Amino acid sequence: MGLVERDKVRELMGEVMKAQGRTLPSDDAADLREIGFRSLDFSELALRVEDELGDELNFDAPGLRRITTVGDVLDFIEQLQTA
Amino acid sequence: MTTKRRTTALIGDDNTVVVAGKRLTWRTLHKLPQLPSPAAVLVDNGADALAAVRHHAVHGTELLVATASRVDDRLREELGESGFAIVLPDGEVTPAKLKRVEESGRAWLLTSGSTGRPKRIGHTLESLTTVTGDQPARTWLLPYSPGTYAWWQIVTLSLTQADQGVVVIEPHELETWPAIAAEHGVTAASGTPTFWRQAIYRDSDALAAVPLEQITLGGEPVDQAILDQLREVFPKARISWIYASSEVGASIVVHDGKAGFPKAWLDREPQPDRPALSVDGDELVIRSPHHGAGLVGAVHTGDRVEFDGDRVLITGRLDTDEINVGGSKVSAGVVRNVLMGHPGVAWARVFARKAPLVGRMVAAEVVPNPALGPITDADLVQWCSSRLPDYGVPRRIRFLDEIPQKETLKSDV
Repeated sequence: MGLVERDKVRELMGEVMKAQGRTLPSDDAADLREIGFRSLDFSELALRVEDELGDELNFDAPGLRRITTVGDVLDFIEQLQTA
Repeated sequence: MTTKRRTTALIGDDNTVVVAGKRLTWRTLHKLPQLPSPAAVLVDNGADALAAVRHHAVHGTELLVATASRVDDRLREELGESGFAIVLPDGEVTPAKLKRVEESGRAWLLTSGSTGRPKRIGHTLESLTTVTGDQPARTWLLPYSPGTYAWWQIVTLSLTQADQGVVVIEPHELETWPAIAAEHGVTAASGTPTFWRQAIYRDSDALAAVPLEQITLGGEPVDQAILDQLREVFPKARISWIYASSEVGASIVVHDGKAGFPKAWLDREPQPDRPALSVDGDELVIRSPHHGAGLVGAVHTGDRVEFDGDRVLITGRLDTDEINVGGSKVSAGVVRNVLMGHPGVAWARVFARKAPLVGRMVAAEVVPNPALGPITDADLVQWCSSRLPDYGVPRRIRFLDEIPQKETLKSDV
């Protein structure tokens, strides 16, 4: 399975935000609640990554953990792809 | 034991029948070689299907007619074991495996089989003829696939009523039907919403050239947008939508140009000729005088309804219509109606897609209307966001170049 690079995931995350009429800040430490990135947005991002990969992400493997910042989301997606 | 065969008065025998560009009548239509009975006649064209029906009406035989492509080997086997001789498009006959007495005058339909295997529903020409009484003289388009309930509706109308011609559209003519219809003076046409949308989308000028006085929609949920678009192309035509199925027959007919039917039609005083409509939970329940054999009583239709002011909207199948997004339920049909209401959308399909966190998300496939400039997924998301709860907004939208169509003329929605 190929890998969607972190920068690409960030770009996809920006697209999710843009479709909701918002913009993704460049700071990885930005708080998800403050920027309005909700679980539906996260799910959508996962689908966009899956479409890019042409494969399903395996969410069972790593176990969900606390995701509060933009950086956490990027880390988590990265982790999912290598799981 | 001898069975008296039941035949039907062919009042429409001299009605015009146009097949492959040739103007014939039911009477002058080619004859099939003597058909066995019971027979499952599998056809690859509309003309043979009509010939089989006339044979059935004249001789009172037991008949199932369907396109060969709808009846796979397993189903052919099952039909043989149920006493049907199988007649193939080239005329080859496989005798029935089970010998039994025919049910005189019985016409069998296969349900669409969009979920699971096709089911056989028993009718007669009488139970299939739901339009009776004095009808204005009309020439009907017949675009449906032979053997479906919608096809039988037009066929029985033409065969049993005066001055009701038909113009058969074969599958390869579906893209250019408006030209054929205009040439043969078609004044009435019945089709699925997908069928109409494609016609408008392909060439609305060609469509407008057909002298339509009666437009009928059925077979799929009918949204307001398609009714409005047709009204624009045909300001003077009567536009009707019909809820009909092999099981309950034509049970709801609406002529006021609006989607859904009046709430006042629910739970009315029973009358022998009028189907009784009710809602159980959010499922449409019908007790119909036009039902198939053995389906007496209330039939749970499996179709989901939703109330909108004083109207009852039929939004889609219960088993596929409801999308559960993290515990919040949304109707795919409702989302679809919102998408179809966008001026830049010619067609849309809405479905559930497996997603992390929320289990399922709403996704869509959309065919844009090229006449109205490009649209982006962000445009559609914004359009939907102001009209739907956030969990109902389609998150993944894929753009298609053309409207997919199945043989039943229904899109896969």
